[in-house]
Amino acid sequence: MEMILNTIRLIDYDQNKEWIHNDIESMEDNLAIGFINPMDFKEMYLVPSLKLRISNKYGDIIIKFKQGKDIPRGIILMPISMWSNQLSYVENKNIIYKNIKVQVEGTRDSPTKLIELINRIKKK
Amino acid sequence: MINKKFLIKKNTEFKKMSDQIKITCSGCSLLCDDIIIIKHEKDIEKILGTCLKGKEKFNQIISKNRILNPLIRKNNSLEKINWDIALDKAVQMINNSIKPVLYGLSNISCEAQLNAIKIARKINGFIDSNSTICQGQVLNFASKIGITTMTLTDIINKSDVIILWGVNVVESIPRLLSKILFSRGKFRITGREIKSLIIVDIYKTASFNVLGTRDLALIIKPDNDIELIRFLKKYCREEYKIPAGGNSGIDKQDLERLISILLNSEHISILTGQALIKPQGEGHPMKELLELIKILNKYKKIGRVSLMMVGGHYNMVGFEHIALAETGKNQSIQFRNGKSVQTEETIISKLQNQDFDLSIIVGTDPISHFPAAISKNLSSKPMILIDNKKSGTYLIADLILPTAITGIECEGLAFRLDHVPIKLKKIIDPPNNILSDAKLLENILMKLE
Amino acid sequence: MELFQYLPQTNCKKCGKLTCMAFSLELLKGNVNIEECTPLLDESKYQNKYSKLKELLKGEEGQKRELKIGIDIVKCDGCGICVTICPVNARYCYSILSGKVADYPPDKHQLFMVKEGKCELLSIENCRRLVTEGKERECRVCETYCPRVAIKIEYI
Ligand code: SF4
Ligand code: SF4
Ligand code: SF4
Ligand code: SF4
Repeated sequence: MEMILNTIRLIDYDQNKEWIHNDIESMEDNLAIGFINPMDFKEMYLVPSLKLRISNKYGDIIIKFKQGKDIPRGIILMPISMWSNQLSYVENKNIIYKNIKVQVEGTRDSPTKLIELINRIKKK
Repeated sequence: MINKKFLIKKNTEFKKMSDQIKITCSGCSLLCDDIIIIKHEKDIEKILGTCLKGKEKFNQIISKNRILNPLIRKNNSLEKINWDIALDKAVQMINNSIKPVLYGLSNISCEAQLNAIKIARKINGFIDSNSTICQGQVLNFASKIGITTMTLTDIINKSDVIILWGVNVVESIPRLLSKILFSRGKFRITGREIKSLIIVDIYKTASFNVLGTRDLALIIKPDNDIELIRFLKKYCREEYKIPAGGNSGIDKQDLERLISILLNSEHISILTGQALIKPQGEGHPMKELLELIKILNKYKKIGRVSLMMVGGHYNMVGFEHIALAETGKNQSIQFRNGKSVQTEETIISKLQNQDFDLSIIVGTDPISHFPAAISKNLSSKPMILIDNKKSGTYLIADLILPTAITGIECEGLAFRLDHVPIKLKKIIDPPNNILSDAKLLENILMKLE
Repeated sequence: MELFQYLPQTNCKKCGKLTCMAFSLELLKGNVNIEECTPLLDESKYQNKYSKLKELLKGEEGQKRELKIGIDIVKCDGCGICVTICPVNARYCYSILSGKVADYPPDKHQLFMVKEGKCELLSIENCRRLVTEGKERECRVCETYCPRVAIKIEYI
């Protein structure tokens, strides 16, 4: 389903906080997360155990998700992190962090690991 | 007897007071200067008054992800080295490069920022701070259009309307609202009762929970900020002409109320952040907002409208001041032959065009903050990281130099989000005798000479 | 506030209270009986509401219940809004007035304190809901303005 991704800052999912308490291996437990409206949840025939694959032409990631009734339809929110930045891009010297068009679908795969993202970045 | 008892009690209380120090928190750009620390011998026993974010800053001291030794990357794994070799290696890497870039600098003290600029001048490098992708752009517009600002104290004492435009301060600067909205100012005996809050955002954030009956919640469609600002510019003198359909997803009634509040209240502070930084359509919302403020200030009978940029890093404003004083430019400075030269480049364009051969990252985590495409470019060239904890960048950097945490393990000057300089104190000694950012950069500078 | 929904909400004052809201608050505290709201008994259209109310209050009727201010430590982020907004805090601690952290050790009247990044309830003896009279007794501002919805005022 086509959705709009907004990256935001959340105190509970702050990168700084995660890098103080967690191991590199388990970083995705808290940071690879998105928030969607329950109606979108129903529309995509999701169940809570599934994960979301989010992709656009810049990259793709798999994240966990939670539902929030205050989130508008058609919007997916993510805390700013290396995961969300796989989808952000640059336009006229400005980094686009907000209102990014993405494709969202349910998947059974587990969330993308930090190490995998690092390897993707390292590859030339 | 009674007297003696009293005396003893007094004495113990006095002892308690002497262990107690007032410090400034460097957890975010609010730089709360009223935090109380209770010390027990050389350790911190209690931290009173910080929000969770500030508390996390203190957790960094003993975090398992703290970097305590200089590290070098050999065959894809990190090796411990001693300081002399590390500094020599850093100098060697710098000397080998022709087009070095320095980036970050928002999480270090002003003294360190000054040294970083000196290094950039010495090595004819390009230096830029996080404010390039954040509030730095506002100053570019402000220099053409003009800007009205207020300090926090002004907002506490005078403001009667606070507007949060696309910034969820409850999550990013937790104590801001308790300081500016709920406190009672000098000329206002009551606090919340006379201060109105207007929140403009695309969804119902946690900040909406503090709204009361006097307040206004405006939920707008994504990417429609510029539309709304233009609309306000057009109708702020003629609210009776507002079309029935409203604008940007906000109905007519709310718009009328908004305009009435804008015109009839006294001091209005508009707080905004990342949401208005990027261009929408062919215009730039920040530019339009500054123009709107100018128009409003012209028509308002009493008081004024002012703007405050809310950033995350604790000393982002500091870099702008230091750079402006040193080079005449607040961001994106290219040095050539020891002089700063005119350039249109920013760190983003530099990285995008791969126009660099060494990056020196100070106190930030660009690998996580930048889009993957740019991170890829960044990781393709040698990188020196100066930071106190592990991060995405740590996993890629070639040379890592640890530093002490400013505001806890070393002192320094920082600028609050309203451009007020505040001194950060040293509370405890750093582990492993690691140096402060300022000292480390000074050592590198000396070695370069 | 569930109780309020089941009152006639006409503010007819027959119960001796100014509004239905005031009556429901007293009802919650167990200071009054439902029967004192006579329209509820007399008018047949309120019969449903009356039985609902009876059910809600079953077993607790007439008992004096104790005030409890609960703070959800997991949700709280130490923003200090409750510290600043509580009128009792502001009255006895000068620095709280301007949004600053209160002195340590805390004043004996102080209700909330932020410690280690989380809010802590020092005592509720001086809460307005216990010590004042009249409208001030309905104070609920700490609960209303907590941005994390971490504070709950209850009677148990
Ligand atoms: S609001 Fe910012 S400066 Fe104040 S205590 Fe929290 S993190 Fe520290
Ligand atoms: S008697 Fe009943 S209806 Fe009348 S004011 Fe009291 S609660 Fe309300
Ligand atoms: S109910 Fe009122 S007086 Fe009691 S703790 Fe809350 S704010 Fe303070
Ligand atoms: S207002 Fe709520 S979130 Fe803020 S300190 Fe008090 S309990 Fe915690």
